[in-house]
Amino acid sequence: MKTRMSDIPRKCLYLGILAFALLLPWLPLGGSSNYLLRILTTATLYMVLALGLNIVPGFNGLLDLGYVGFYGIGAYTAGLLTLHYNVSFWIIVPLAALNGAIWGILLGAPTLRLTGDYFAIVTFGFSELVVLVIRNELWLTRGPMGLPGIAPPSVFGHPLTQDWEYFYLIIFLLLIVLFVVTRLEDSRIGRAWYSIREDEIAAQCSGVNLIQYKVTAFAISAAIGGAGGAFYANWFKFIHPDMFKFWESILILCLIVFGGLGSIVGTMLGALALIPLTELLRVVLPQNLFSGRYLIYGVVLVLMMRLRPDGLLPFVRFQQNKARRAQKRLAPTGNGE
Amino acid sequence: MENLLGMSSLFLQQLVNGLTLGGVYALIAVGYTMVYGVIELINFAHGEIYMLGAFLAYTMVTVFGIPFFAAIPLTIMICACFGILLDFIAYRPLRRAPRLAALITAIGMSIFLQNLALLIWGGQIRSYPRAVLPKAFFQNAFVVGDITMTWLQIFILAVTVVFMFILHLIIHRTQVGTAMRAISQDKVTSALMGISVNRVISFTFAIGSAMGAMAGILVGLYYNAIFPYMGYNAGIKAFAAAVLGGIGSVPGAMLGGGVLGIAEVFGAGYLASEYRDGISYAVMILVILFKPSGLIGKPILEKV
Repeated sequence: MKTRMSDIPRKCLYLGILAFALLLPWLPLGGSSNYLLRILTTATLYMVLALGLNIVPGFNGLLDLGYVGFYGIGAYTAGLLTLHYNVSFWIIVPLAALNGAIWGILLGAPTLRLTGDYFAIVTFGFSELVVLVIRNELWLTRGPMGLPGIAPPSVFGHPLTQDWEYFYLIIFLLLIVLFVVTRLEDSRIGRAWYSIREDEIAAQCSGVNLIQYKVTAFAISAAIGGAGGAFYANWFKFIHPDMFKFWESILILCLIVFGGLGSIVGTMLGALALIPLTELLRVVLPQNLFSGRYLIYGVVLVLMMRLRPDGLLPFVRFQQNKARRAQKRLAPTGNGE
Repeated sequence: MENLLGMSSLFLQQLVNGLTLGGVYALIAVGYTMVYGVIELINFAHGEIYMLGAFLAYTMVTVFGIPFFAAIPLTIMICACFGILLDFIAYRPLRRAPRLAALITAIGMSIFLQNLALLIWGGQIRSYPRAVLPKAFFQNAFVVGDITMTWLQIFILAVTVVFMFILHLIIHRTQVGTAMRAISQDKVTSALMGISVNRVISFTFAIGSAMGAMAGILVGLYYNAIFPYMGYNAGIKAFAAAVLGGIGSVPGAMLGGGVLGIAEVFGAGYLASEYRDGISYAVMILVILFKPSGLIGKPILEKV
């Protein structure tokens, strides 16, 4: 119970942050308010996505380069269901998540038996194939013409139009994902994941069914990616194969590496720091150089791994389990040497 | 009968094109496989070295007016140094770090170099000016029935064979080659036997990068297209070739490159041209799933 008591001020802090976020649309910021809200909605969407991706490299220590494939699957599931069948947004999100999870299981079950490098490259190939299929199967996805005119989601019969409504919606989605992820982290599953990350063989010897837990992680991660895609499709109302290219996976990976692999708070702060930076670059850089912004993400990835593999934010590390850190110091995970 | 002849000549023409392409893939694949052999890391940035090779030769030819055949060895040397530098900056500090850290670094370097090239050379597709190339490249070397082969294709195949032969000699006939093979078997014991492990790893990066740079120049010639993202697709295809042959095995990379080049040309010609790039991804995924040791690789054992 001692730890629970000490949790109280932190919970107050979190509630304060949430209250601040919910008040944001009503602050007198003048004309730039809607622009700011759109950036914040994007940042929150990326928080959701990053929390989903974090499960695989952060909790399990496996590099997943194909996350954007599930994001794209979710977005196209949502877009097509809205356009053709006019299904409600509240049914679409679980369906998109389910579709993501199904593909996650189909891809994960055979590939998660492989070593980490092979897994990384297979997930990469998967996301490339997803984009190729979206681009070429015109009868289903309209290919490079994209899917325009996706209907907005509606709450109790009221279709969302305002920027603040979408901002509240994504905050709601974030809270759900956050609840799922934090509960998972503290559960038996979460502890099994950490044990896999620290030492697969030791975990296996302690009775952790590697494949089962890894596939679960991959499926949950894919489901969150799918749900994020569903929100994106209904928010942006237009989707295109180019939105789901490999670079998105890198961007999301960069967010979690920046904030600290495996740290939930760090992941969210990483998104909050880097996504507005991207928007800033969009304003500052000339059009033809904007695609060069990934240069910065590349540098971030390299420098973070070299200098601060635990993430840039020092106080985030405090919140991690002390025992885990002690264990890490004692047993450096070498390369089989 | 006429129809059958037409089909078989198309088949042979595709085979020739596939072999040319496969030779280039094999050149790149060797770089992946050698690095994987010594440090067990997928060097995602290898595709970017290949791209830099194409661009450096382009710049030398157009900006500095260096003759094309002098630019080739210069580019190769610069890229070899670049490979050493890459290892020194990015990978060496992480030798003892978890696998994940090294993989993320490799991806980061790849993204960085790609966009650096984008900033330096811009996004438009460039090609080697025809005036600096020997005219013979674009003339048919021989025409048998409907099958044609240009001198350029012969040049590509010849360069591939010569480079592979040199590589074979280095690996099997020199001291450093023996050291490379020793390290790929057991790093610690090799170090105890007096092998300077880091120096040999640098040498491996240099050789792999040199082959990659040559491949970049050849592809730039073959497709008439040099652009910052060229290393992205080719890199993955070459990696697929390396996996197909069995990662860590140099003859496997050559075999895998050949098979994949032919598969790609035939798949695009007979099945679905819009999935041209997808064919190599699909081959790679299937091989990894069902035969991760590749065609002639040794089975992967997890070391404890």
